[in-house]
Amino acid sequence: MYAVETFELTKYYSNGKVKALQEFNLQVEQGKIFSLLGPNGAGKTTLIKLLIGILHPTKGRAQLLGRPITDYTIHSRIGYLAENHRFPEFLTAAQLMYYYGKMSGLEKTILKDKIPQLLKTVNLEDWINVKVHKYSKGMMQRLGLAHALLNDPDLIFMDEPTDGIDPVGRREIRTLLKSLRDSGKTIFINSHLLSEVERMSDEVAILKDGKLLQKGSVEDFTSIKEQYQLRLQDNQTSINEICIKMNIPLSAQNGLYTIAVKDTVQLNRLIDELRKSDTIIQAIMPRKISLEDFFIEVIEEKEEAEN
Amino acid sequence: MKFLSIIQLTFRESFAKKTFMAFFGISTLICLLFIFALNLDIVDGLQSSVSIFGKDVPKLVNINEILWGIEAAVSVFLFTGGIFMSLFATSSLIPSLLQPGFIDLFISKPISRFEILSGRYVGAVSIVAFNIFYMVIFTWIILSAKTGIWNWGFLLAGVMIVLTFAILYSLMTLLGLISRSGPFSLMLTYLILFFSPLLLQRDKIYALLSSKYYGYLLDGIYYFLPKPSELGNIMQQLVRGIAVSSWMPLWTSLLFAGIMLAMSGYIFQKKNF
Ligand SMILES: Nc1ncnc2c1ncn2[C@@H]1O[C@H](COP(=O)(O)OP(=O)(O)OP(=O)(O)O)[C@@H](O)[C@H]1O
Ligand SMILES: [Mg+2]
Repeated sequence: MYAVETFELTKYYSNGKVKALQEFNLQVEQGKIFSLLGPNGAGKTTLIKLLIGILHPTKGRAQLLGRPITDYTIHSRIGYLAENHRFPEFLTAAQLMYYYGKMSGLEKTILKDKIPQLLKTVNLEDWINVKVHKYSKGMMQRLGLAHALLNDPDLIFMDEPTDGIDPVGRREIRTLLKSLRDSGKTIFINSHLLSEVERMSDEVAILKDGKLLQKGSVEDFTSIKEQYQLRLQDNQTSINEICIKMNIPLSAQNGLYTIAVKDTVQLNRLIDELRKSDTIIQAIMPRKISLEDFFIEVIEEKEEAEN
Repeated sequence: MKFLSIIQLTFRESFAKKTFMAFFGISTLICLLFIFALNLDIVDGLQSSVSIFGKDVPKLVNINEILWGIEAAVSVFLFTGGIFMSLFATSSLIPSLLQPGFIDLFISKPISRFEILSGRYVGAVSIVAFNIFYMVIFTWIILSAKTGIWNWGFLLAGVMIVLTFAILYSLMTLLGLISRSGPFSLMLTYLILFFSPLLLQRDKIYALLSSKYYGYLLDGIYYFLPKPSELGNIMQQLVRGIAVSSWMPLWTSLLFAGIMLAMSGYIFQKKNF
């Protein structure tokens, strides 16, 4: 069973003038941190809102934890941090958590322990009894995060979770989300912050104009196939000659050699040659690009294809 | 439990917007003014004059009737003022529920959309019921304690005021859902409140109508719309302890409320936020 599964999920706005999501098919496995990337207006928020039931699909259907999205009772296992959540500003953090906790069907006795504990997790312990209208943007976001975890959800949707949060806070949130993942929860994130997504996601998908462009593991996207980087001891090496002989493109930068081989067999042959010439290999690693580079590449490719 | 928390949150919101306290304060003020400036003197005077003329038992029955008449007049005042204030105080509750980012939080909880909307509606009616019963019971206790005549029928005024409010609020809920505007739905509801009593006089204009079908149309509108002024009359009869001449205004108004709420529920169910 998937945490999230959509079948031709489609959403049009303004009587079909805006095609926010088009025949969208997606599967998200349980126990993963999944990130949905895409430029502004790609349809990321639309997708989450459809999954939560805030919007109704124009066509298609979807399931959360094996249950149709029309079944609101599944929300007892779901946490949701909205993009622009608006909490009742006249309440304190504790009161707010209490009412929303009760709405999630939690007992008063459970909430009494859970609320201070969660607010401490997001570093709001000094603000528990302060009215929410006095909160800064980042604090509001932290509160939203704590609120999304109230019912100990198995599947958590977060639309731009670190929006407005300072770098230290971001790191804390990343750690928190990873530990949630490690305890078996599924986390579905919408984000623009690619370096952040790269650091915590297991899987990413790229969405543009309501269509899925790419989906895969961060590892797959950031490592370039058949390109490797080598670090060698000393520079008195015959790698240049060997590569010319074997017809392998080579470049060097900061003492790091980058090679582009046909396949792993050729890579191993190169290693054999290097070893024969007594070159000491310190490290061989697949060459990586940042997720950001990959993202921009995919988006640009798509735009070129359209023109 | 979940449903109750929506009602509680509605109360909280009303408190925070100060409408609840304003409502409560005005209710208190009205009670005090009414009781001390007007009624008691009259009642006291009547009673003392009766006691002067002595042990005339049928006269005492008259006092009851007179007092009950005064109470009926008081109840009409509370009815009119109460309905006006209640609609005003609760007009923003439905549009504020629909605010982007706020409604999302409700929907993301394991509660149905139907529960969310009805929780809000019941919350608004409870806020009003709290204030109206406070006003009615306060008035009743002072009137009764001073005269020694305890007219339990007076408490039915509270029931009728809240019921009339609940009927009108069903319309305001629908209007609030469609327009997302508190002032707009308030003005239209006030319009119905003014317009519907005019339909009672519709036989006077039948002669002016070019076709009898317009007459049927007016009849139709009359039976369809809520009938606040006639509900006020039913309330007076209940307070006076006399037989209610016709329950038709009540059940047709309840039917109207049922239709409004069903339509609101349907629209809310289908809405994209
Ligand atoms: N209520 C609405 N009515 C009409 N169009 C809408 C509505 N909501 C969103 N859209 C349009 O749908 C498209 C997708 O919007 P969506 O909010 O899902 O994008 P997003 O990927 O979340 O963008 P961002 O990264 O800026 O948050 C956009 O073109 C947007 O203009
Ligand atoms: Mg968005």
